[in-house]
Amino acid sequence: MMNIKRVISTIEKNYILSNLKKEERIDGRGLWQQRDWSVKSNVIASAEGSAEVSLGKTQVITGVKYDVGTPFPDLPNEGVCTFMAELLPLASPLFERGPPNEQSIELARVVDRGIRHADCVQTKKLCIKEKKAVYIIFVDIYVINYSGNLIDAGGISALTALISSQIPEGKWENEEVVWTGKYWKGDTLVNELPIVLTYGKIGDIIFLDPSLPEELVCDGRISISVTEDKITSIQKSGFATFSIEEIEMLSKKSIKFGKKIRKDLNLWQYKL
Amino acid sequence: MPLIIKDEYPEKLFRDDGKRLDGRDKDELRPIKMEVGVLENADGSAYLEWGNNKIYAAVYGPREVHPHHLAKPDRGILRVFYRMATFSVFERKRPAPGRREKEISMVISDCLKPVLFLELYPGTAFEVYINVLDADGGTRCACITVAALALADAGVPMRSLVTAVAVGKIDGELITDLSGIEDKAGEADLPCAITWFNEELSLLQFDGETDLEEFSKCLGLAKNAFSKIYEIQLDALKKKYIEIQEEYSRGEKK
Amino acid sequence: MEHEKDEHIEDPTIDTSEDIDVDEFDDEQTSRDLVVPGEVLTEDTKNFLPGRGTIFNKDRSKIISLNIGLKQVKRNYINVIPLRGFYTPRPGDKVIALVTDKNPVKYICDINAKDRGILKPKNTVPRGKPRGYRGGAPDNHDNSTKKYEIGDILIVKVLSADRLNKPELTTVGKYLGKRRDGLVITIDPPKIPRVIGRSGSMIKMLKNLTKSNIFVTQNGRIWLKGEDLAHERLLIDAIRKIEKEAHTVGLTDRMSEYIENEKKIRGMN
Repeated sequence: MMNIKRVISTIEKNYILSNLKKEERIDGRGLWQQRDWSVKSNVIASAEGSAEVSLGKTQVITGVKYDVGTPFPDLPNEGVCTFMAELLPLASPLFERGPPNEQSIELARVVDRGIRHADCVQTKKLCIKEKKAVYIIFVDIYVINYSGNLIDAGGISALTALISSQIPEGKWENEEVVWTGKYWKGDTLVNELPIVLTYGKIGDIIFLDPSLPEELVCDGRISISVTEDKITSIQKSGFATFSIEEIEMLSKKSIKFGKKIRKDLNLWQYKL
Repeated sequence: MPLIIKDEYPEKLFRDDGKRLDGRDKDELRPIKMEVGVLENADGSAYLEWGNNKIYAAVYGPREVHPHHLAKPDRGILRVFYRMATFSVFERKRPAPGRREKEISMVISDCLKPVLFLELYPGTAFEVYINVLDADGGTRCACITVAALALADAGVPMRSLVTAVAVGKIDGELITDLSGIEDKAGEADLPCAITWFNEELSLLQFDGETDLEEFSKCLGLAKNAFSKIYEIQLDALKKKYIEIQEEYSRGEKK
Repeated sequence: MEHEKDEHIEDPTIDTSEDIDVDEFDDEQTSRDLVVPGEVLTEDTKNFLPGRGTIFNKDRSKIISLNIGLKQVKRNYINVIPLRGFYTPRPGDKVIALVTDKNPVKYICDINAKDRGILKPKNTVPRGKPRGYRGGAPDNHDNSTKKYEIGDILIVKVLSADRLNKPELTTVGKYLGKRRDGLVITIDPPKIPRVIGRSGSMIKMLKNLTKSNIFVTQNGRIWLKGEDLAHERLLIDAIRKIEKEAHTVGLTDRMSEYIENEKKIRGMN
């Protein structure tokens, strides 16, 4: 609420906490309610795939670029998909310019792991010639406006950008890559739709989708990535601790919420 | 639609009917859309779509200078950070800022300084963050135009707005507002900016080769384009407020 | 030990007799003409002079605006009432400060201005005796910074402020001191006069209709505390609406209509 820098006022902390205890949130949501989503694809002409996603007032833009390079020696027939996140200083006075800091690396890593372990990006199909040439897919997440919960917004935008992408198909001929003139669409690249859900924790209270003031005062967060019926990655951050019962409860809830979001957003509609 | 053609230089930059490759006349601008106050966390902000260029600008300030040794005891400083997104160009750009970005940041900063009263804010900094998310030629001009809007939106006292446009020569013809491919394949490129309080140029770069007559014609083209873009800038600044005013003045009489 | 009694505020009504430019938005002479930086306000430089937010051009043939705002003609001065801008501290302003740092000799406060304010411990304790009495220091003279913690919200008065030095603050005075509950929101500082209204009319209306306590300060921050969350959210929405529509006429009447309406929609009484 207050556009302050690094110190959060004690009364704001108490205010958020006392309302959460009554199961009320300052923006009028219930404890297990997300803010509104808005998803647009194909916003950047220079990128092979792109998406603009906002979750409440949090806004991120993600672009997909490709390159052809040599594969890693231990995975000679698999393409590479890398994630990068940049917290632009224009998104919030809390962000500083300069090389990536912990927060932006965490964002990229959590989104990466959620997508990687769900067998989402079909890296085996991204191989042109074994040991010689594979695709390197760059998924770059740019935060335009920071209003809490970047991980959920980043996850959906990365997924939408991948789905909406089209990458020229290459063949290996005479020791070099030749373009066939055809394109690989999102359904070739993407197999699963992993949804990441972030919960905040203050004291004993856990709630879904922390907004900016909640994120600044909360003790810790937990991000759970789920596919249709499996958990694919979990990241706990902050100094809060979670009991085993709480984790179990959250995992069940995540699968349920994941199904709902997958249905509501219907991300396959963004395929070209 | 993603650009998939390798950005090769086309043989001709004009179509058979005399229009340019994107269907524009010689002195026609690309479609421009501007909006102010788009980012809630910044003190002032603006968004610009200029053809395929998509640019966000945000202003913070006046605020303490960080690192402290850059502060000037007798006046404020204006720091501009022009950055391009990795996916904004054909070949993926490396995330770290390069020399080109640093030079353009400096050029933009120098271009905007004449309209500000930096001497009134000693020891502080105005910071302008400009992020190009999609680039298609003429980004430095677009950035100046949008940065001026963001500064006005932040309520920073300004002598006037600043407007910029690029003019140039392709295939022997003088044209206004070069697109990415025309910029690369053309013969001459002249980005320039005007400060409206004295109607003088505060940005001038020139690459290419022209004779004096053509050069002065170029400046004439730029002058025409300036006033067109200025109209759009004024409209963008006022629109937000006038819309609300009109909504309520319909029923009531002053 | 704590000075709670001194600081507890029974009725933090704004003292509108102070020299706040309360009604500049509602002024008769303020036109609804929206101007932007560089816009020519008049070419009649014989009869008019540039006032606030305006300047002569180079050859003194025109008066131009420096800000985005509303044009106002007052006697022979032309002013521009800004719609956007930042807070510049002036001596005597009451502002809401956040303690961001402290050391044994001073508190450092964020006051939403370009410099952070300095609060010295001697300015946090009222002086018991008139100063200078036989040259002795007052009894309760306290020189440590134990009274407030980092993160505290204080209502302070600006003692001194100029372009070069950091503003100095005090918490001694009516309504000043630490806030223990409630909430602080921030709006554009130039729109603060609109939230106060002509001789406090808007504030009174907001307080009555939402049954809340409000304290509006010059640096764009508003402290508020209502009966419950629903009332507080209504009040915040109303303040955001005032901020958005600050440049329109008949705002007070429209706001009271809006609040009554919203109350019905939200099912509050």
